Amino acid sequence: MTTKQDTSVDAMPYTEPSGLEKIHERLTETGLTKAGVYGALALFLVWTLFPVYWLVTATLKTRETLLSFPPQWIPLDAQFGNYARLFAERPEFVTFITNSVIVTVVTTIVATTIGAMAAYAFVTFDYPYNLDFHLPFYILSTRFMPPIVTIIPLFVIFRGFGLVNTLRGLILVYTMFNIPFAVWMMKGFFEEVPESLIESAMIDGHTHLGAFFKIVLPLVKPGLIASAIFTTIITWNELLFAVILAQSSQAITVPVGLASFVTKFSVQWINMSVAATIALAPVLLFAFMARQQLVRGFSMGAVGK
Amino acid sequence: MVTVEYESVKKAYGETIAIEDIDLEVDDGEFTILLGPSGCGKTTTLRCLAGLTEPTSGTITLDGHDVTNVHPKNRNIAMVFQNFALYPHMTVRENIGYPLKVADVGKEERENRIEQVAETLEIPELLDRDIANLSGGQQQRVALGRAIIRRPAVFLMDEPLANLDAKLKISMRSRIKVLQREMDITTLYVTHDQEEAMSLGDKLVVMDKGHIQQIGTPDEVYHQPVNQFVAGFIGSPSMNFVEVSHSDGQIQAENAPEDFDVTLDDAVVKRYSGTDEMTLGVRPQYFSIHTEETANAVEAEVEVTEPQGDEQIVEVAAGDVSLTVVAPSTIDTTRGDTVWLTLEDELVHGFDPETGDRIGDPEEMVATTRASSSAGSQS
Repeated sequence: MTTKQDTSVDAMPYTEPSGLEKIHERLTETGLTKAGVYGALALFLVWTLFPVYWLVTATLKTRETLLSFPPQWIPLDAQFGNYARLFAERPEFVTFITNSVIVTVVTTIVATTIGAMAAYAFVTFDYPYNLDFHLPFYILSTRFMPPIVTIIPLFVIFRGFGLVNTLRGLILVYTMFNIPFAVWMMKGFFEEVPESLIESAMIDGHTHLGAFFKIVLPLVKPGLIASAIFTTIITWNELLFAVILAQSSQAITVPVGLASFVTKFSVQWINMSVAATIALAPVLLFAFMARQQLVRGFSMGAVGK
Repeated sequence: MVTVEYESVKKAYGETIAIEDIDLEVDDGEFTILLGPSGCGKTTTLRCLAGLTEPTSGTITLDGHDVTNVHPKNRNIAMVFQNFALYPHMTVRENIGYPLKVADVGKEERENRIEQVAETLEIPELLDRDIANLSGGQQQRVALGRAIIRRPAVFLMDEPLANLDAKLKISMRSRIKVLQREMDITTLYVTHDQEEAMSLGDKLVVMDKGHIQQIGTPDEVYHQPVNQFVAGFIGSPSMNFVEVSHSDGQIQAENAPEDFDVTLDDAVVKRYSGTDEMTLGVRPQYFSIHTEETANAVEAEVEVTEPQGDEQIVEVAAGDVSLTVVAPSTIDTTRGDTVWLTLEDELVHGFDPETGDRIGDPEEMVATTRASSSAGSQS
């Protein structure tokens, strides 16, 4: 009942490399690929780092040397007094920094906590009507529209509740805007924790809540840190809502303060650079300290097998 | 003394029935295997006992105490998961000692018990290593260690060897058996590997489509399968099934009446009196293969031979009927040869072509629950 089959081979026993593959091979042999990659990286570094360099060196120059041409690449006569002068001329800047710190810290803690708990619930429990699928999407959808769309209604609502010009109001808005991000970021991390770990912890004597705190949270720490850093950065730098919702100095944050250096009549370049450098420092420092966790957080392979 | 009892346990997910009519008793110290293909409900059955899955109806008792709705932490059970479920942020020592830590056992006693368990499993040198740096076999032992450190009342294992390579599987298999015998702990063990099940279990519970098909000793399920499913699932290579017609001891394959035409022993014929049509089941080991023409034999052509060392697996075709035969490696046949197969009459089985139930000698049959074809499936 067996029929004789055609046993000839269909194609050539090997495939010629294509033209592009040949060029790639040739470039790799001569080391040109490597040189190209490093060249591109160097260009990228200059592109991202030079503005920061220019900002920081500007804080040490006088107005004349800053605007001179040809530019002074390295400030020869460092003007450290510029820092003291900012606070002498604009003492309210201390309040702005305090406001920013309060708003950022509270928002980060609240948004990350709520985001993590919501994400865990969506990943772990089954809700009726497939809500564990639909709700996260709904939460994310609040970020689909341009933020400016919501500003006027929010302003009207906030005025009604007496939240305009208060830190509470800003914290509320920022928390609302950061929760979707925290939920989606943490969802990815919780999904990586095998369910059997939680079950095993329960068999070992934990309640579900105990398993969450003792087993799950330590495993998603890189994710918690990464989403906390993101929330911090977004909140610390936010300008749009702050400009509209905080107009008196009791609620003005650093970005709004920075914008105030640009007036109808002049731009206070030196003061603005000093203020911008001060505004830049905490976020950079925070990210730098947590850089290891941050990288692990983004590579997502946090839990492993 | 710990006995486990399932009473008409059922678990449904909406319309889908994962398990139904599960009635099972496990005696104290017994090693019971839940065996079946994937999706048959064996893991769901185990998880109901662990408290990780809540049954839709029915009761589960441990030593007469109803534990159906008791939280897992309040059942004195230990479980080994297929993926081991070790805590990646802890060392081996912390993993093994974790159940004691949660139970607030003092540090000193905890350390003693950890050392003891590590000795038993021959892993004292691994105690301070990270989980990520262990091989599969080592992780398996740590998982076992974490399970036995608490002296559980019942030991549950969900395919604990499935992630290990073949050689390791066999050595871990005997280790688990020795451990279970020494500790004398009632054990439920889930596997889809019938060879593993036969070699480990005191009692086999064969499941399919959410129902228990047969409960019995390894010998009973092998030699007295209650239906065609059990007969086909147990044994390797699988049993051959041939649709045959029967009259007065003469058996003819429906697809190849001329090639497959044999007469059975009188003693065997009695079993099938009154049956015209049935599915004949013959294990590959119960054919004898002959290279010379033989009387009362099935004539067949060799399709392929697979040497296995001492023996070989020969695939043959008798007309349109394909058969698998296990033969000694001394028999020299090759593709295209004609061979003659004789049957060991008393070892063949007849099954009802409609229901799949075994025909004849009902007194030998073991208590069983039959599958209803409406059952859904769920692993």
